[in-house]
Amino acid sequence: MNLFRSEEHVLRWLGRRDPGATITVVKLSELAHAWWSDRLAADWRPHAREQNQAILDELGLTGDFWRLP
Amino acid sequence: VDAELLEVRNATYGAFVELGRAPSAEEVAVATDRTSAEVEAVWRELHRAHALVLNPATNEIRMANPFSAVPTAYRVQSAGRWWYGNCAWDALGICAALHTDGRIETSCPDCGEAIAFDVRGQRPDDQRLLFHCLVPAAHWWDDIAFA
Repeated sequence: MNLFRSEEHVLRWLGRRDPGATITVVKLSELAHAWWSDRLAADWRPHAREQNQAILDELGLTGDFWRLP
Repeated sequence: VDAELLEVRNATYGAFVELGRAPSAEEVAVATDRTSAEVEAVWRELHRAHALVLNPATNEIRMANPFSAVPTAYRVQSAGRWWYGNCAWDALGICAALHTDGRIETSCPDCGEAIAFDVRGQRPDDQRLLFHCLVPAAHWWDDIAFA
């Protein structure tokens, strides 16, 4: 789960490996804030799978790649 | 969720932020009026529940996601301290968890060139950067340190 300077750098780093998923750092920040913002809250409770899947879905991160087990 | 697990988990995270590093079992034991062995037993349950990650060789905390207990390629300056994120997602997650702006420093895995940007109001100021996730979501916890 890395940051790259551009798509060209992603592709060169992948080499012959199958690509995973690429999103912008702006989208990643939206994801991180939706996913982690309650982590230090006194009333924190573990996220249910459905809760985490909803976060991904709401950000448009859909399809098999983003399907949680 | 078991109240004991939550208490130890919250004390562990609280100590991590207060100390700026992973707490020892002894430190959490003092904070929660338990023995170190009791804290370690709860940590193992939390590890199994993916609520934190232990070093299997030592039973010390390896990750209290998004925080890393060990140095990584993702350094985060936030809330007056430097932290390590487990990955790019977690690096931004540290700003999210602390509810603060921050600065993230890493390097491009392809060319090695330094990458540094500020996060203000939840927005990275270098919006050209891309995040690549190699492992599908279904397999993130197969090997969380790799993912």
